[in-house]
Amino acid sequence: MASLILSPAEQDYIIRGVESGFRADGRGSLDRREVSLRTGMISQANGSARCRIGNLGVGTDVLVGVKAEVNSWTPGEAEDVGSIVCNVECSPSAAQEFEGRGAEEINVELTQLLDRILNGPQSGLDLKKLCIIPKQAYWVLHIDALVLDVKGSIIDTLVWATRAALMSTSLPRVVVETIGDEMGNMQAEFDVVDDPEDLTPLEGAENLPISVTFSQIGKRYVVDASEQEEAVTQARLTVAVSPAMEICAIQKGGMLRGFPPSLLTEILETAQRIAREELTRFKTHYDNAKSHFTSQADEPSTGSTFLVQF
Amino acid sequence: MSHNVVDRRRINGPQRSVEPVYTTKVLDPFATGRLDERALDQVRPIFIKTGPLDAQSLSAAAPSGSAYYEQGKIRVSCAIYGPRQGRKSNARMGSFDCDFKYAPFSCSWKRSHMKTSDEKEIALMLEHSIAPAIRLESYPKASIDAFVTVIESDGKAATIAAAINCISAALADAGIELYDSVAACSMALHGEQWVSDCSQAEENASTCSLLVARMPSADEITYLLQHGKTTPEQTQQAIQTCANDCTRVYAVICRYLQATLE
Repeated sequence: MASLILSPAEQDYIIRGVESGFRADGRGSLDRREVSLRTGMISQANGSARCRIGNLGVGTDVLVGVKAEVNSWTPGEAEDVGSIVCNVECSPSAAQEFEGRGAEEINVELTQLLDRILNGPQSGLDLKKLCIIPKQAYWVLHIDALVLDVKGSIIDTLVWATRAALMSTSLPRVVVETIGDEMGNMQAEFDVVDDPEDLTPLEGAENLPISVTFSQIGKRYVVDASEQEEAVTQARLTVAVSPAMEICAIQKGGMLRGFPPSLLTEILETAQRIAREELTRFKTHYDNAKSHFTSQADEPSTGSTFLVQF
Repeated sequence: MSHNVVDRRRINGPQRSVEPVYTTKVLDPFATGRLDERALDQVRPIFIKTGPLDAQSLSAAAPSGSAYYEQGKIRVSCAIYGPRQGRKSNARMGSFDCDFKYAPFSCSWKRSHMKTSDEKEIALMLEHSIAPAIRLESYPKASIDAFVTVIESDGKAATIAAAINCISAALADAGIELYDSVAACSMALHGEQWVSDCSQAEENASTCSLLVARMPSADEITYLLQHGKTTPEQTQQAIQTCANDCTRVYAVICRYLQATLE
């Protein structure tokens, strides 16, 4: 998405390469780059994760923090569910064009995409579990993503990081008491237990979908496009697939072209296969990150460990 | 004495107060067929008129093309400005920008005057669905701008589809070079059944909505959006059905545009 200027010769090289099944960095058209994932590095947040696709310095880097807050219910809102609020911000350090108001459009696009994937029954999260007392109080999960570096495939990195952050999220326990007054009216009250050990993980987070983004280049398509490949991408299709292999969201992007229906059918079929592979890969990386986190938990966390962990 | 004094600046309510009646029952709009007795795959009747805004003044500020579009209760208007001088003076291709605004009174709740983030996103969606149809390479250094106002909305996905159709008609009115007109149609999943062109009440009762924009002659799908969970087979089937609906909408737009030439 970052606008890199390529010469016509370079563009032609990439397009013809993709059409004959070769990519400039040696990958096949459906191969993804290496991923590194870390969770729980932000102590103030209820859940956090940092995901990088590609190598250090030449990869896309996204940091996600989940912060839970108790909100009081106001008339007009749904009565017995919690809510999720997403916000994505592209840091000006990631690319020059994000300076000033330059990132506004991409921020809106990514925020709405994340919201479309997460906010609703398609996310797999049980929003009813986020309700504390119906018509009185509920949890709001603020999912804030910071894009630190952009080298292609920003949507998939964002979804990986968000998924890991939500899976590592745990909420404080809430005690609900029902008190009856002398008139016989029942009134519910709640108390958030202020014990850092007494936490419950977010239910249903392992059902969250994973996204696969296809970039149409020439007559063919690739997944996990690099920065150069994105510069020649004519159209982009993001498909979010749940672990049960259901399609949770589809969104097309890119101004230059549309998809021929036959290619679209092929992409939707490929999406499921790749999503299955990605989910296994995600699990390995997440379990690794988890064990890494617990083994280092007793060490003091400093700025340099934040860097070294990556 | 004192109870006779009435504050005339205040609107005094009635003496007796009555508790409001709440609706607790969720109405199922599909309980007995569709609310407006349409078939499940039937699109609401369409009305198009091009050029409602260009004829009003001959000043330089008049748009180069415009259209008004109705689909059932949905009313959308669109004005096209351009091709005019673009911001980038060395651009090889022209740019297409879109601005989308719900009128404050267009929905069942009051919309804000300020542009909200969902309006910004819809503007982006419109750009992505229309731009592939415009021959932007024949407008170097130029920009084409579309301004869409929703006067009345009924179903979010259906309103976006209506906006796409409206821009297509307005672009043709402005004489912009196009590969093909873009026609769009939306669907919603209710239980196991896909229902075309849903109103707000129908959309609220559904679990998934799908929007397809298509260039029927070029056979290219220029936009695809799914919000909600389905099986892959359901999605494939819906894209197919929606594409067929697009062709029907396209026929209506084309017939109108041809009639304006005669």
